[in-house]
Formats: sequence, structure tokens, C-alpha cells
Amino acid sequence: MAAKKLNLKDKYRLLTRDLDWEFSYQDREKAFPFEEFEGIKITDWSKWEDPFRLTMDSYWKYQAEKEKKLYAIFDAFSQNNGHLNVTDERYVNALKIFLTGVSPLEYQAFQGFAHTGRQLGGVGARTACQMQSLDELRHVQTQIHAMSHYNKFFDGFQDFSHMHDRVWYLSVPKSFFNDARSGGPFEFMVAIGFSFEYVLTNLLFVPFMSGAAHNGDMATVTFGFSAQSDEARHMTLGLEVIKFLLEQHEDNLPIVQKWIDKWFWRGTRLLTIVAMMMDYMLPNKVMSWKEAWEIYFEEAGGALFKDLARYGITMPEGAKLAEKEKEHISHQAWWTFYTHGHAAGFHTWIPSDEELDWLSAQYPDTFDKYYRPRWELAKKMEAEGNRFYTKALPQLCTTCQIPMLFTEMDDPTQISYRSSEYKGEKYHFCSDGCQHIFDDEPEKYIQSWLPVHQIFQGNCGGPGVEDILKDYYKMNLGADNMDIEGSPDQQRWQQWKNKAS
Amino acid sequence: MTYQVTVEPTGDVVEVEEGQTILDAALRQGVWLPFACGHGTCATCKVEVVEGDYDHGNASPFALMDMERDEGKVLACCCKPESDLVIEADIDVDPDFQGFPVEDFTGEVVDIQALSPTIRGIWLKLDRPMAFQAGQYINLTLPGIEGSRAFSIASAPSQSDVIELHIRLVPGGAATTWLHESLVMGQKLDVSGPYGQFFVRSSDEQDAIFIAGGSGLSSPQSMVLDMLEQGDQRQIYLFQGARNLSELYNRKLFEQLAEQYSNFHYTAALSDPDAADNWQGFTGYVHEAAKEQFSGRFEGHKAYLCGPPPMIDSAITALMQGRLFERDIHMEKFVTAADGAEGAGRSALFKRI
Repeated sequence: MAAKKLNLKDKYRLLTRDLDWEFSYQDREKAFPFEEFEGIKITDWSKWEDPFRLTMDSYWKYQAEKEKKLYAIFDAFSQNNGHLNVTDERYVNALKIFLTGVSPLEYQAFQGFAHTGRQLGGVGARTACQMQSLDELRHVQTQIHAMSHYNKFFDGFQDFSHMHDRVWYLSVPKSFFNDARSGGPFEFMVAIGFSFEYVLTNLLFVPFMSGAAHNGDMATVTFGFSAQSDEARHMTLGLEVIKFLLEQHEDNLPIVQKWIDKWFWRGTRLLTIVAMMMDYMLPNKVMSWKEAWEIYFEEAGGALFKDLARYGITMPEGAKLAEKEKEHISHQAWWTFYTHGHAAGFHTWIPSDEELDWLSAQYPDTFDKYYRPRWELAKKMEAEGNRFYTKALPQLCTTCQIPMLFTEMDDPTQISYRSSEYKGEKYHFCSDGCQHIFDDEPEKYIQSWLPVHQIFQGNCGGPGVEDILKDYYKMNLGADNMDIEGSPDQQRWQQWKNKAS
Repeated sequence: MTYQVTVEPTGDVVEVEEGQTILDAALRQGVWLPFACGHGTCATCKVEVVEGDYDHGNASPFALMDMERDEGKVLACCCKPESDLVIEADIDVDPDFQGFPVEDFTGEVVDIQALSPTIRGIWLKLDRPMAFQAGQYINLTLPGIEGSRAFSIASAPSQSDVIELHIRLVPGGAATTWLHESLVMGQKLDVSGPYGQFFVRSSDEQDAIFIAGGSGLSSPQSMVLDMLEQGDQRQIYLFQGARNLSELYNRKLFEQLAEQYSNFHYTAALSDPDAADNWQGFTGYVHEAAKEQFSGRFEGHKAYLCGPPPMIDSAITALMQGRLFERDIHMEKFVTAADGAEGAGRSALFKRI
């Protein structure tokens, strides 16, 4: 009888057997010292189902092919002066946020998966993390390469990694990942592998990539597709992690639930900047943030949590509040950046009349009532030569590090303040979610490096704001910051387009 | 125009409408394929087309590269068939699947019995014996009714020339109405089979729990009879759910088997007994009966579920809360036109359940 054709699972098992080994003269627990302290109980690693069956050999083959294709497009983009095809010079500011705020997270993901992969006792999980780690490294590299073309023509790209480390609002994404990486290996997997890569990834990537597609940015669209093609692995890994932990031991359920609550909320806060980008920064809009939230979280996430309910997992604690916030956060965030436009590493502006009308139509319940009057006022002040800047430094939330810009959802004229006392000190938060996260692990969050506190403590140069921006953040004042109106970016754009300035 | 897409290695057949994607059709028809993004960018649903013509749809050139297109790879979430197809997917064939070939038969009606007020038992003598695994189903083609209808076989495989079917009258259902009202003795029907991935995992040594609702008793009946005939020594638990006493059919058969075999245990549950039933047994839904008997802990068993979607759904939840997970849960869902389209709005978390 002819040998039965192997299915992919068996083929993979035979190709990868013996990647693990027995610890005959060393203590296994010492080899994986972080596997137990989080309280997660793993009874049988062999129950791990490899979410994707890819050997290293074919991994390289596939990725090399993707790179070839991607870099051919980058070259063509560059040779054809592709930057001239974007909608206008304002669009590029969305890319500045991406490069300073998101691309460095890919690098943190690379480091995080490399470390976590090493710490997991199961060979399947280790290999999966290793591949994801390499993917993330590839993503950060291709993103930097894609943006390097814009760096030749626009301000604000030149010192992205330095800015990521130091600039006040960039401590939001940076601390998000630092928090995940300084958790244990299983928390990292739930935080990044599941909550971020599976539950929230579409709300980060789809807006940026379709934003690029709607605004003529071929380079960004292409690296987006290239990165998305790795998502198969990342998403299935995220799902396998959650199933595996929940099936291994019932004591894991409350721990996993707590992590989901925490990382859903942290992720939601992080996405505020995407909300603002979609509603205010894209010259050609894709859809409103509210609509994106409804499609990618309420519908898709709803289906997921309905299935997870079988394990006893419930909807994240903050989901109800987030549903109300979808009406507000983009407006509150862009207002904050507009009023701190002198301290931002990108340009800000008042929405055009046409854009204000679009926002009114997209947010019928909130925009005209709470936010349009502010923009009308700002417009009037600007026309009178009194462009408004906030002089004070904002108070930050100790957990998410976002300035206290969010309001109570039942009263959008009242800023939401929460605070907790710990060891005689008072800590401030933007929301119940962020306060709960702190209260659960205060020893961790009292160590937060809060940019405003650091400035007041004299750790960021100064003393004036201008000195800090110039010397500590390395911003080119007058070029990287301030209004788009009259900026060097705008002047160059108009010259290229032969428009009178 | 519809095309038939055969999914190897399981041999499942999916009917795909013109312009519909393979993935959409498969999920709606209860055939699981790996997937994640659903819009051609992530490549989780990559499959190989072994035979047939197709359109790649909007598959991203990064998710499906040229060299893969040359090898006949497609993304199931984007690919639209342009002829009947055979595809090979990254899904596992169960080692207990015997893979009996699907063939066409003629079945003559040799017996008809009213099993309950809504369920009719029909016995068909086939023109030749059919090899099948207990739990599998056949497709019946009925005169004047478009398409075919699936019915599970209730008799044991040892009785391979006469098959027993349990048919519940679906209100407004063309096929079941015809079978209840127009079918007569001696009539000949076109039968094809056997189909399905619902069968006893004999190689797994864990004890077996069967949960059946309504005419969903059919498959479990065949499976239990087969196991007992084979001298299977595992503990076998059958939970049969019905609305009231008149709907609880074949009770005598299982009570006798429970007396005869010490490893077979039978529990009937009535969800809404009539006062006149004078019911002394378990009152409540069938999954609640199982939960009570096992004190809510199901680990270390194999579970087989058969019945209408709400029963299956409740049973899965009860089993998972009792720490029995997807790999140990097998099911046959009796979906009728009245249950609406499935597949939409489900996440990629589970494969089969």
C-alpha cells in the first residue's frame, strides 16, 4: 500500500522534531525562571497547537520575496518623486506621528517577542515568538526605509527615535510597550500577542494604511500590505495563547481576565492618537473614528468576546465607557495638540469649513454641541491675530501618560479626574481604567517616567520650554513645530506645486 | 449558478454561489477553514487548488505572492470559483475517520412509524449495502423538491442495507412536510452518502458523553448501538432531551440497553412536561441534566452533541465551563432554513464549535 500523504501538521512535526530538549543535568525551572511568578499554571505544554506551520527555511524564502517586491516599489516611488502625489503637505504629518509613535513600537515588539520567546517552556510557543520577533524587526526596518524618502523633503522626520525616547506625548506609546515588556512572559503575550495584535490591530493599521491609500501615499500603502501579510502568524498566535492559557488551568481565568481588562484599556487609550489622525489629519477621510470603532471593535470584537464567553471571559471592563468615548476622544485630543502646537513635533491646524461640516455630519450628537464652537472661537482668535497657545504644561495620567484631556462622558465639559494615594503620595489618572491599573500594581507605576514631572524636576534641560524643545527633544524650532500655515513644509510644497504662497 | 468545492483532505463539499468566496460559503455551511483578516491581506486562509478554474479576487500581492500563484495557491477569503474545484487546506483529518466513499443508492421505503407527534421514523432498504460510520448522514433527493436534504442515520452500521432515519416536521419546511404527509410505503428515493465528520473517536480512550435533542437522537442512537455491539468497555452516557413525554421517543430501547449493559447509562430530560405526563425524571434542558449528573465537571471525557443549534450552543457552554474543550467536543448541528444564515459575525477563535 502506498504511503499515506502526510497532512501539513504531520509534515511540520517531522520537519521540526527535536527542536526541544530534555534537561538532564540542569534544573528546568532555572532554565525558564519567569514561567511561574505570574501565577499562571501550565500543566502540559504538549497541548499547545502550533498556530502556523512554517519552517525557518520557508520563512526566509517568503520574507525575501516580500522584501524584493517591497523595495522595488520603494525605489520606483522614490525615483518618481512619489511624495508629490500625496494629497497635500498636511497629510505628511500623519506619517510623522506614525514614524515617531508607531514604528519604534515595532522595534519594542521585536525585543519583547525575542525575550518572551526565550522565557516560555514550550517549544511551539518559543518558535512562534521567534518568528514574530523577526517579523517585527522587518516591519520597523521597512517603515524607516519607506519614510526615509519623506525625510528628504519634509521636516520632523529626522530624529524620530530620539524623539520617541524623550518627547512628552511620545511617552504614551513608549510607556505602553515598556509596561508590557516589563510584565512577565504570559502578560506580554496577552498584552501584545492577544489584546494588541488580535483585538486592536485593525484599528491601528487599517486607518493608517487606508488613510495612505486615500491620500496617494504609495510607499506607506505598500509597507502596510507587506506587514499585514505577516499578521496571519501574529493573529493566530494571539488566539492560540489565549485559548492555551484558559484551557491549561482554571486558576488562569481571573489572571487572564485582569490582563485583558488592563490591556484593552491601555490599548484604547493608545489609539486616541489614531482617532485624532483619522478625523483631523487626513485630508481625504477614510471613515470617522466612531465608525472605525464600531466596525473593528464593537462588531468584530463583539463576536470574539461572545466566543470567549464560553471560557468565562467577559467583555473588557472599559468597553462600555469606550463606546461612549468614540464620540469624543478625537476632538479632545486634536484640540490638545492644537493648543500645544508649539510643543508638538508635527504641524497642527484648524479644520477647514468643509472639514468642520464633515465632522458635524459624522458626529451629529456631539460635534456641534461641544466641539464646533471651540473651533469657531479658535478661528476667530486666529483671524484677530491672537492664535491661542496653552502656556502651562499639562498634568499627565500616571498610567497612560496622556495629558488629562478626557472628560467625563456624562458631562463633556468636565475633565475626568481620578486619584489614588500610595505611600503618602497622590497619583492622578484620566479614568477609572487607568486608576484600576495603578491600584493593582502601584509599585510598578510609581516608577513611571512622566515627561512633565521630569521637566519640573529639571531632568530635561531648560528651564524654558523652548530650551527643552530645542536641546532636549532636538526639535528644529519653527520648522518641526507650530502651525502648518506658513511652515517651511508648506512653503516648499507650494513651490513644488507652483502655487503662489 | 453554483459550483461545488471539494475540500481535501476531509472531502467536505461546499456549494459556492457565483461571485461568492470559498471562505464565505464554507463558514456558512459549517465547514471550517483557517482564516483571520477576511479581506485578503493576512494569508491565514491560504489553500491550494488541485483542480479547477478560479479568480484570485483581491488577494494582496504580499499575502499571496507570484510564486505561490504559480503553484496554484489561493486565499479562500478572496478566491471565487469559476468551475467546480478541489482544494487542499491545512486542516487535519481525524485518525478515526474511515473515509468510506460517497456513492449513490436507491432506497425503498419499507417501514414508516410515528415516533412522536412531530418525528417520523423511516426505514429505507438500499439497493446494496452502504458502508458508513455510526454518526454519519445521507442526502435524500425528493420528488419535486429542489436540492437535497441531509438526514443522520439512526441505525447501526452492522445493519448496512436498511437504514433508519428520524425526521422532524419543520413547520413550513417543504422536504419534511413532504416526508411526513406524502411519503408512502414502497416509494423509491435517491440516496447518497455517507457524509460527515461526526463519528465516535474510537482511538481515544476517554469515556463518552452523548447529548441529543429532539430528532438529534438519530446519530447518537447509531453510535451507541455500534459501540455496544462492538463490546466497547468505556462508560457511555446518553442524555436525551425532549419537550414532553410524547416527544420522548425510543425511551424503552435505551432503558433496556441500560439494564443489559453495565457501562451504558441513560438519562432523559423533559424541558416542558405536561401535567398529565406525571414525569418523575429530570425536568429541565438536556445540558442541565448532564451538568447535574457530572457535578459540572466534564474533563476526561469525549462529548458528542447532536440536535438543534440552541441546544448545541448551551451544551458547548456547559461543557466548556466544566473544562471540556474544543478538541474533545464533537457535534452535528441540525440547521434548518428557519435557523437563518450562520457564519456571519463569528470570530476565528474556534474551529469546529
